[in-house]
Amino acid sequence: MLLLIQYTLIFSSVLVLVALGGCISEHSGVINLGLEGIMVIGALGGALMMRFLGTSSAFVMVLLVMLAAMLFGVIYSSLLGVACINFKADQTLVGTALNLLGTAAATVFVKAINTAANPDDHSSEIEYVRARKMFIVNINGFEFNWFMLVAVLAVIFVAVMLYKTKFGLRLMACGEHPQAAASVGVSVYKMRWAGVLLSGALGGLGGICYILAGVSIWKFENGVAGFGFLALAVMIFGQWKPYRIALAALLFGLFRALSNTYVGFPALAALNLPGNVYNMMPYIVSLIVLAFTSKTSRAPKAEGIPYDKGSR
Amino acid sequence: MEQYAVEMLHITKRFPGIIANDDITLQLKKGEIHALLGENGAGKSTLMSVLFGLYQPEEGVIKKDGVEVKINNPNDANALGIGMVHQHFKLVECFTVLDNIIMGVEPNKMGFLQKKEAREKVMALSEKYGLHVDPDAKIEDITVGMQQRTEILKMLYRDNEILIFDEPTAVLTPQEISELMQIMKNLAAEGKSILFISHKLNEIMEVADRCSVLRKGKYIGTVETKNTTIEQLSAMMVGRNVNFHVEKKPANPGEVILQIDNMTVASKVHKNNAVKNVSLKVRAGEIVCIAGIDGNGQSEFVYGLSGLEPLVSGKITLCGKDITKSSIRQKSVLGMSHIPEDRHKHGLVLDYSLEDNLILQTYFDPEFTTPAGFLRRKNIREYADKLIEQYDVRSGQGAVTTARSMSGGNQQKAIIAREIDKAPELLIAVQPTRGLDVGAIEYIHQQLVAQRDAGKAVLLISLELDEVMDVPDRILVMYEGEIVGELDPKKTTQEELGLYMAGAKRDEVKA
Amino acid sequence: MKKALKNPGVQAFVASIICIILGLLIGYIVLLFINPEGAAESIVNVIKNFLTWSRPNKKLQQFGNTLAKTMPLLMCSLSILFAYKVGLFNIGAAGQYVAGSCACLYAALAWGWGWLPCMIFALVAGAVLGAIVGFLKSRCNVNEVISGIMLNWISLYTANTLLTKVKEVASPYTMYIKDVNPSALLPNAGLDKLFNKNQYITIAVPLAMIIAIAVSILLSKTKLGYELKATGSNKNAAKYAGMAENRNIILTLVISGALAGLGAAMLYLTGYMRWECTQSSVPGMGFNGIAAAFLGGLNPIGAIFSSFFIQHITDGGQYVNTNFYSSQISDLISSVIIYLCGFVLFIKITMNNLLAKSEEKKSRALKVSEGGDK
Repeated sequence: MLLLIQYTLIFSSVLVLVALGGCISEHSGVINLGLEGIMVIGALGGALMMRFLGTSSAFVMVLLVMLAAMLFGVIYSSLLGVACINFKADQTLVGTALNLLGTAAATVFVKAINTAANPDDHSSEIEYVRARKMFIVNINGFEFNWFMLVAVLAVIFVAVMLYKTKFGLRLMACGEHPQAAASVGVSVYKMRWAGVLLSGALGGLGGICYILAGVSIWKFENGVAGFGFLALAVMIFGQWKPYRIALAALLFGLFRALSNTYVGFPALAALNLPGNVYNMMPYIVSLIVLAFTSKTSRAPKAEGIPYDKGSR
Repeated sequence: MEQYAVEMLHITKRFPGIIANDDITLQLKKGEIHALLGENGAGKSTLMSVLFGLYQPEEGVIKKDGVEVKINNPNDANALGIGMVHQHFKLVECFTVLDNIIMGVEPNKMGFLQKKEAREKVMALSEKYGLHVDPDAKIEDITVGMQQRTEILKMLYRDNEILIFDEPTAVLTPQEISELMQIMKNLAAEGKSILFISHKLNEIMEVADRCSVLRKGKYIGTVETKNTTIEQLSAMMVGRNVNFHVEKKPANPGEVILQIDNMTVASKVHKNNAVKNVSLKVRAGEIVCIAGIDGNGQSEFVYGLSGLEPLVSGKITLCGKDITKSSIRQKSVLGMSHIPEDRHKHGLVLDYSLEDNLILQTYFDPEFTTPAGFLRRKNIREYADKLIEQYDVRSGQGAVTTARSMSGGNQQKAIIAREIDKAPELLIAVQPTRGLDVGAIEYIHQQLVAQRDAGKAVLLISLELDEVMDVPDRILVMYEGEIVGELDPKKTTQEELGLYMAGAKRDEVKA
Repeated sequence: MKKALKNPGVQAFVASIICIILGLLIGYIVLLFINPEGAAESIVNVIKNFLTWSRPNKKLQQFGNTLAKTMPLLMCSLSILFAYKVGLFNIGAAGQYVAGSCACLYAALAWGWGWLPCMIFALVAGAVLGAIVGFLKSRCNVNEVISGIMLNWISLYTANTLLTKVKEVASPYTMYIKDVNPSALLPNAGLDKLFNKNQYITIAVPLAMIIAIAVSILLSKTKLGYELKATGSNKNAAKYAGMAENRNIILTLVISGALAGLGAAMLYLTGYMRWECTQSSVPGMGFNGIAAAFLGGLNPIGAIFSSFFIQHITDGGQYVNTNFYSSQISDLISSVIIYLCGFVLFIKITMNNLLAKSEEKKSRALKVSEGGDK
């Protein structure tokens, strides 16, 4: 049971971080379908830091790994920004390209590093057993991960930012009615860039959190198994509102956690279902949830529409 | 020397293919109301966008209080004290009135909003100028008039001295219009300088001190309103004397073509019904006009009638057949034609060629499609060429021109050609002249009358008072989703019509 | 020359070539960055693919392998471009492809069906998956990209579960069709002889090409194509014109899914590949289909060539110098190409602007010279 809670919380943390990233980006008017790729690149940044940073201070490690993941996410998301904001490219196409590119680039890069270190090593794996321990505080068998705290802080931070600050007001105006924002002197391009880069930072954090969730070695060929898209489902279910996103993430996190822990529940184990059924659960749940919530959903009105200065 | 608040001297602004502003000069005195008159497409909006920093002119200078200034964006305009109420309000619908007013100049500490001071300032301004609004209401929940007041408060909140009103009366009732005129006079009396963009001559004569006229991107002249007449202004605007009245013979109504009983349609924006229990009849050989202020359920009425939105309840009969449950396609085949309100949203597939748009309602006809489902391209071309000639639709490359690249007037002509050539029993025309110039408007009115004279039933939905008074044989006024009055255009006056449109007067109307 | 450049088809071609060149250039730079020594040779090998072999027979046979794998890719790209023309982004093609793989392999190995019923079963499986996406889109307003991705994973795990029943005992791979049920292998119809007896060259090759042409005709010459493209371009206008919008969305995704599902049969029923029942990521065929669709200028005939090119460099990846580099460099190049395809609109606009400018200059020069004559 403790294990289920632990896994629920850590997977929820991943979903919250990434969904908040998607939420900020969409409030600024850009649909970020590239979150999956951003997660991979963020995870790569964090993993590299874990591998090459030889510190014994847990604080320094946690901080620098998070910063590296965010930085990688931000840099990578700028590819989306350039294409979708400045060149008005198809946001779905570019997002998809970023997802594919993320996995391919991370694989090529990690393999190159591994091969350079050892000519016989052609794997795309990075191992971080020692570093992972620094993220975890063991409380009576419950593995508290610092990312759980980060996720809670992120929810509060994003909620305050959107609803209480000048920046949030302007950002949301750009996603709802960019012409109105422009007419009072708000730079729509700048705000959308801000939205995309922030979503890159949060997506990157989510990525490193994901690979730290249950394992100590990561194979980059695997990508992040659709988590970027699950996070978008969480965002839609959460109606683009930070607190509701947090609740939605808990639900989805629970189902994801089941696949790691169902063996521990006699009732579930007795059902004798193939493990793949549990693997499918989060995706099935999200389909069902989307089917019931999408009809009434209120997405930012101008999302997905490239902003053109000339049109009024 | 006279003191000008703003001068725009020899402004030229080109877009690919057209010169929107050709050497235009406009001088606004301090404390005056200055009208800018011109037809749609005359270059008024472009000129104002230049003044507001949305476009940069290729030539010419702008002076503020006699000093040359550069206005690169709305921020610069704002810093110079220039504010604008746009024709289509620039308001974020899911934000509150207050949020919309402060956006761009938010009072804040370290980036955190300080709404309390803002609210006090807004309340004080709204007291002073009689602009009553609820600062915490969301824009989507308030009336158009209140939205406009929000826009005016936005300018006053920024202490703007030069106020631009871009076609502010188009969405208002006659009563709201006279309120607005009073507000504008108050503002001018307080020393604000006002630019009032309009093509409505009565309003200009009533409120403006001077009037500058544009035509086809060129500056025609500036006159004092007290020294001029409506006829003179009109001649300056269009370059010739225009016949404002549509020539038509008395109507000769025949049998009932369209009968609607107790139709109710839900609203997409709020929880109430947009159309409530509407009943009406349209006969062969008459034009019936549904008049009303924008947003009183006319759009939903047409959506319900044509089948674009489902009915909550009611019955529709066309030529004696019950079509309540019929699909859009069935209605169309049974003889309903529909010139839609928004030609870009509904009327055209902009990426399709002109010929493909001309068969949009009839492409499945055996004339255009073989039994195996292949298009008969040759027949389509011939048919398109025929319509293009008959209705004088002008385009760059004829039938193969992409609809997107055609002018608004010719796009509308193409739709009208398509809908009329279907030989419908009932022609529904929703704001068919919106955004068109005088020549095109005359042409479309003639076509509607010609349909009537050919024994068809015509249902016109219009927001333009002139059109409502001139074209139809009967007027039905819609207010908040109900028909509140039936008027005879020959006997009624604009004032009486206005009272009905504003909901101040109503009759029990029987279908 | 300039007149030709104004032609939208030529423009699309030029834009695609620009994307390819930039994509390869970026791939080369990445290789240089990893190790400057073998970069040039490796990128050349990626481009040459089967041409790196010196023996003509081997060349021909390897060419045949690439061609065999091009066909499923072509089908996936047709699936994506068909949906895209109707305004839908069928990223679920990857999952529909998985469903098709699962259906045809299961029918062939567990039930012993012949190749034709297996193929039809794969087509139906893909179509059903497409129908689910279409239904969710039209009835529940679910974004087709998100539901498509979810279904990709659901179908992957379903396929893994079902195909485990027909896998070899000792390996995670499904059994060989040729051992269990040779009647399920697609007929070669003598085509294998053209490629040095490459057994994987089957009727799938001409069939896929014929389907590409059929899709092209469907889109440009028929009433259905007219309706579907109108729905894609402006669904409000399509509704106004009485077209059944919901039916069209579902129909489009059913056709799109059927194409992807059929594509899977065109690969797995040749015996070229077997399913790995423990795979943890969705096969890339559906995603590469996106690259091929856009690189082909969203034209079914263009897709034939672009699919071949994408498959060509994907296979070429195995010829890089693995002492330094990994074969995923090809995936990297094709995803960069997809990214660059996002700029195609911009490239076309720039081309048109340049053309307009040079014409203006010319007409000005002409005026000046005329003035000089006077």
